[in-house]
Amino acid sequence: MSAPSATVVTDLPPWRRFKYPQSLIHFGALLGVLVFLAYSVEYLNIPLERLLTMFGKIGIQLSDRYFPPDIEYIQNRDYFGSVLDTVQMAYLGALFGLVLSLFLGWFGAHNVTPSRRLVYPVARLITMICRAVHEMIWAIIFVTILGFGMLPGVLALMLFCTGFAGKLFAEEVEAIDMGPVEAMRATGANGLQAFVYGVFPQVRVAFTGIAIYTWDVAFRAATVVGFFGAGGMGWYLKRNVLQIESERVAAILLSIILLVFVSEVASAWARQRVAKMQ
Amino acid sequence: MPILEVKNLAARYTNSGPEILKNLSFSVEADDFFAVIGPSGAGKSTLIRCINRLVEPTGGEVILYGTDVLKLSSTGLRRLRRNIGMIFQEFNLVDRMSVMDNVLSGRLGYVGSTRSLFKLFPRSDIDRALRILHRVGLLEFVDKRADALSGGQRQRVGIARALMQEPKLLLLDEPTSSLDPKISREVMALVKEIAGEFRVPVLCNIHDVQLATEFCNRILGLQDGMKMFDGTTETMDQQKLDEIYAMEVL
Amino acid sequence: MQTEQQRITADQLLAARSVTRWRRAAVVIALFLLVAWSIKITVIDDTDWERIGSLGSIVEKSGRFLALDVSLLPKLIEPAIETLMIACLGTLLGVVLCIPVIWFGAANVTPFKPVTYPVARMLMTLSRSIHEIVWALFFVAAVGLGALAGVLAIAMRSIGFIAKISAEAIEDIDPKAVEAIQAMGGNKLQVLRYAILPQVLPVIIGVTVFEWEINIRRSAILGLVGAGGLGLVFFRQMNTFNYPGVTTVILAILVLILLGEVLSHYSRKAVI
Repeated sequence: MSAPSATVVTDLPPWRRFKYPQSLIHFGALLGVLVFLAYSVEYLNIPLERLLTMFGKIGIQLSDRYFPPDIEYIQNRDYFGSVLDTVQMAYLGALFGLVLSLFLGWFGAHNVTPSRRLVYPVARLITMICRAVHEMIWAIIFVTILGFGMLPGVLALMLFCTGFAGKLFAEEVEAIDMGPVEAMRATGANGLQAFVYGVFPQVRVAFTGIAIYTWDVAFRAATVVGFFGAGGMGWYLKRNVLQIESERVAAILLSIILLVFVSEVASAWARQRVAKMQ
Repeated sequence: MPILEVKNLAARYTNSGPEILKNLSFSVEADDFFAVIGPSGAGKSTLIRCINRLVEPTGGEVILYGTDVLKLSSTGLRRLRRNIGMIFQEFNLVDRMSVMDNVLSGRLGYVGSTRSLFKLFPRSDIDRALRILHRVGLLEFVDKRADALSGGQRQRVGIARALMQEPKLLLLDEPTSSLDPKISREVMALVKEIAGEFRVPVLCNIHDVQLATEFCNRILGLQDGMKMFDGTTETMDQQKLDEIYAMEVL
Repeated sequence: MQTEQQRITADQLLAARSVTRWRRAAVVIALFLLVAWSIKITVIDDTDWERIGSLGSIVEKSGRFLALDVSLLPKLIEPAIETLMIACLGTLLGVVLCIPVIWFGAANVTPFKPVTYPVARMLMTLSRSIHEIVWALFFVAAVGLGALAGVLAIAMRSIGFIAKISAEAIEDIDPKAVEAIQAMGGNKLQVLRYAILPQVLPVIIGVTVFEWEINIRRSAILGLVGAGGLGLVFFRQMNTFNYPGVTTVILAILVLILLGEVLSHYSRKAVI
């Protein structure tokens, strides 16, 4: 009963999973990537045999050197002060960065940019450079120019947030419905008016979500920029790493993880509320 | 001797929820093309899904080829399910896989886990798939991705996949609801032809009464989970239909 | 009568609006004061204005970066390759380590929800909470200076994002394909292979390529804490006050990132 009785086909076309040449190209590409990765292991002198025993070693190391964390070390006014500094650096950097990225989001969105020839590529280039250069490099450069302190930290975070939010904003603006914007232009609104009344209402909620996310990323970076002299908790980290005070480092790391965790939970909650508003 | 016997079947989705099926009994014979009709919300889909236990019934018996489906272990159920072909309202294909892989996936119940992990289907399965694809008229689409096909073609892939299972029963869950009228009739005709060729009984839940009377030889009328009619298509008339669909608000 | 009533409601509306307007103004002023206070503390009090000197000296100091050290270029090739390789291997290791986290962290496939699900979610957050510099510091201390520490740091930092997006993709799959495979007698492994994997694989590959792109940016600075690559060269140029060299390294990083963007653009096109 299983064989089709009425339709016996004698000349079925051959079928193979392997297709020439697509499958060959696929396999070739895959093989190329694998060879490159294997060569990388060789090139970088990564001791694979050590990799296996390593996780055990890390465990021993953790318990030997980093345990117990020196919690008392971080329970003083100076350290709490540095936490406060970190928070302030993060939100100032995020705030300034977000203000700048609003303009980048406007100028760098292909559909509403004032000039596609001139403004658009410049805005894109600025966004790209701000994004591509790591916030730690910005921090180091600003520390070189301005000296130690929180100002270089704020500036570094500002550029970082500008690039980060600028790209997301521009993408969001490019996805809007152009109908209302055209309607406004038809009534004679200028570029700024069209942006404020036609574009912004459509992306307000998305922008709020992105802004919260930006704060999150900025705070995470702010805990570390001090490592290169830009103020905040990172500086404590640097000092104790250099002095090989591992138990103190452990305590600082724990506090960083805890703070970032709290900030992440809070921002996830806030983003959910914002998403519900939509 | 009926092939499928359903006795006093009852089902509900949650323990305290409303009863979807109430004390339902009927039987399907070897050469039946059996239609289940009724307004939406009558429990047609639930009934079909109780036969292969995609929905767990809360009471009664389902006897298929002499085995009590509801008493099977999970392994036994999988063995049984591989002999029940199912065709779905929205085709339930894996969109990103090729037509061939979709059809071959009908053999999964027969192929071991390791082989199926690497898509190593036996040559005989591939030949069978090609024959069936030829039968449903899709041989030229064998390497296309499922999401590149039209609705009617996708449902043919669904039929081919069900046939791969060497089914001893075909369950059809609103096979035409996602298709336009012309394609619907073609698909029903194809299923009827194939059911005859493969000598498989069909249990089909269908919203469109006209299609049901045209293609099916027996009709079960459901209303609110209760049996309103059970008989051959000839004994069905407008008055009984009006009774079955009395509760439907149009 | 009716117009009277409408007038009243309109008046009430206006009154309510003016209250909210006052409240909003108060909030804005409070926020403004807070920002001003923060600026005073972080920028005005904490900065060594003496050292910065005049605007002219800032311009002069910044100007030192506006040059290139071409003699450095040949010495950048090897570290650039190293950076790229660290990013690739780190991403690969991250994806491998991700698999159990994805499995545990998708609510609909997690093996024992009350325990495995929150554990996986914790791991995802942990991985993302710790900055790559901190991960690198940790691994440099654990396995010594060199590329291995960088690879491990990149891997650990990548887990969170890849796992989060992939797990959400699994939670959002179309259940119809799963039902079909179950209906034809497929076991759990087959459901995973034939119904779930084809649906989520493009997402996983997409997010991996995206993360790889970011990882190039990250691995370029890990050398600052001793994990090899371009960061180490950057560090040396900085320490020898060779500012044109610094700019050259930054440009090299930009080129590398641009290369990554182009590659990821094409690979994404090939996959989806």
